[in-house]
Amino acid sequence: MTPVATADLCAGPAGVPGIRQSLERNRLRGNGRLYAGLRWGGAAVFGVVFVALVVTLLQESAADLGHMGISILWRGWRPAVGEYGAGVFIVGTLLTTAVALALAIPVGLGTSLLLAELAPRWLAAPLQAMVEFLAAVPSIVVGLWGLIILNPLFARDVEPFLKHVPVLDALFHGPPLGASILLASVVLAIMILPTIVALSRLSMAGVPLADREAGMALAATRWQVARRVVVPGARRGIRAAVTLAMGRAMGEAIAVTMVVGNNTALPHSLLSPGSTLGSAIVNSFSEALPGTLQKSGVVALVVVLLAISVVVNAGGQLLMRARTPPVPPRGPAGGGGASGNPPAPADSEIRL
Amino acid sequence: MTTVPSALGPPVTASWRRELVRQQARRRLERRRRLGRVCTTLCVGALCLSLAPLVSLVFYIVARGLPALSLGFLVHTPTPEGIPGNGIGNSIVGTVIVVGLAMVMAVPVGLAAALFVVERPGKLSGVVRFVADVLTGTPSIAIGVFAYALLVLTIGYSGLAGSFALAVLMLPIMVRANEEAMSTVPLDLWEAGLALGSRRPRVVRSVVLRTALPGIVTGNLLAMARAIGETAPLIFTIFGSQFYVFRPTSPMSAMPLTIYDNATQLYPSAQQTAWGTAFVLLALVIVASVLARSWAGYLNRKARVR
Repeated sequence: MTPVATADLCAGPAGVPGIRQSLERNRLRGNGRLYAGLRWGGAAVFGVVFVALVVTLLQESAADLGHMGISILWRGWRPAVGEYGAGVFIVGTLLTTAVALALAIPVGLGTSLLLAELAPRWLAAPLQAMVEFLAAVPSIVVGLWGLIILNPLFARDVEPFLKHVPVLDALFHGPPLGASILLASVVLAIMILPTIVALSRLSMAGVPLADREAGMALAATRWQVARRVVVPGARRGIRAAVTLAMGRAMGEAIAVTMVVGNNTALPHSLLSPGSTLGSAIVNSFSEALPGTLQKSGVVALVVVLLAISVVVNAGGQLLMRARTPPVPPRGPAGGGGASGNPPAPADSEIRL
Repeated sequence: MTTVPSALGPPVTASWRRELVRQQARRRLERRRRLGRVCTTLCVGALCLSLAPLVSLVFYIVARGLPALSLGFLVHTPTPEGIPGNGIGNSIVGTVIVVGLAMVMAVPVGLAAALFVVERPGKLSGVVRFVADVLTGTPSIAIGVFAYALLVLTIGYSGLAGSFALAVLMLPIMVRANEEAMSTVPLDLWEAGLALGSRRPRVVRSVVLRTALPGIVTGNLLAMARAIGETAPLIFTIFGSQFYVFRPTSPMSAMPLTIYDNATQLYPSAQQTAWGTAFVLLALVIVASVLARSWAGYLNRKARVR
């Protein structure tokens, strides 16, 4: 650079954007204030939407919440007598979610353990893609399948069969109608399965290789490493996966509406048609005229559902963030469960 | 081999004990292996149970949906029960318009909010992130009712209200995906850009957004794929329509709504319409998901060539 050029740079003659000029221009443009405003605007819109969601729903449901008070949590849904409580639906939601989890957790954990640990990689990758494809299927399509394919199958074969299983039949009273709490639970289990598999497989894959090697060095078999090293190491991730799946099962509305039977009485067995919060909202919303106490009651159901799912999801997120404990509490190669290590021989000269 | 101790009590030698322990270990290993085999078989069973619904689902959608498909089905409007020439053209157009408008609303806000989180690591952005995570799990039916209370009660049933609901649904997913993509941009690149004397917006535009573009595209398109299939936010907002509607301020139809309305009717022809629509909807979702990944791959390759 020649001295002239340096001078130019400072003076900033016409045509060449010098530092002074560009600083000047920067100042005129507000020092990137527009950009900062954009960022703040994005965050603000986001926050406003969230606040508006809560405020609007509370406002619309205020009439019913004021009418029922806290008893909304256990009173039934009887529009004829002006009682708009969420009790039956909360029971239905908890019941379907619990059964769905009972079905999906063992299957999901077995699948993810197989995909993460036991299957060869060339096989695991496509299988995993298939399981996760299930997550992409819209819930309405799963609902359609449940309604037209599973419903007759359950009414004809599955539910009569369950009524004859010795111990379990206590759970399955009543006529086999197809549409029932049970069918809704099965459909929910199918819908939350990919969530459980994907998230728990992810946390299993995150268990350090060194932990596995330590297990193998102690002569643990492949299964023992999976069961006693990988699963304990991924425990928090699995718990988070289950919690998030639970949130999804509770919030699902459309598919459940199509298969749950939509009965507003308290379910007395898994075979009886019932209602969940979601399905009750779908069914009652269009029936209720705007401005009535009933409409407000439906929105109150939404508020209850939202409250439950926010608690569950926040719990799941906190679990996801929490640090995984560094060392699993038990040694990996303890022998097959109860058999334990053989007591050390008294004779000190014996070595293996 | 050492002998087994007799009733007289043999001499307890070191070598005998060693052999005993070895035998025990061998037996135990056999037992452990057997346990492993049994449990692995159980896991394979679990995998089959996870795949069975998927296989059945895909089978029925193809077997029942494909016969319903024809060019007329894709372009015609619905006919009354029993009259041939039924179609879902209006629902396809409705889905495209409603989801497109939702993208127009959600994408810029999602980008700006993600930049906010990335640029100002602190308590406030932590709050934004946590709210996004919790909102991702919000029941979509609640979002539908929210859009109803906010928009339908003021401007009436309209495609716009549905778009708003879908935008609210997608926003948290987009914020998190964008943020994740942007946070993979190395700090060095930011600093290099700033060291060149570029102003911040310029660095963000030319360095950060460009580097993070594949991740951003994937995240936003996956959010879109999810929105395409959502029924609950639309059911109280867009109302449905039997005709081609191009004005977003009037009631419109969309594919999930068409499935819901037809599936709950008993006529075989209505169910066939539902299956056919489900086929088209699933195809659209798959195209969107595949596009999400392959477009990102294309952008990645392009970036590497440069």
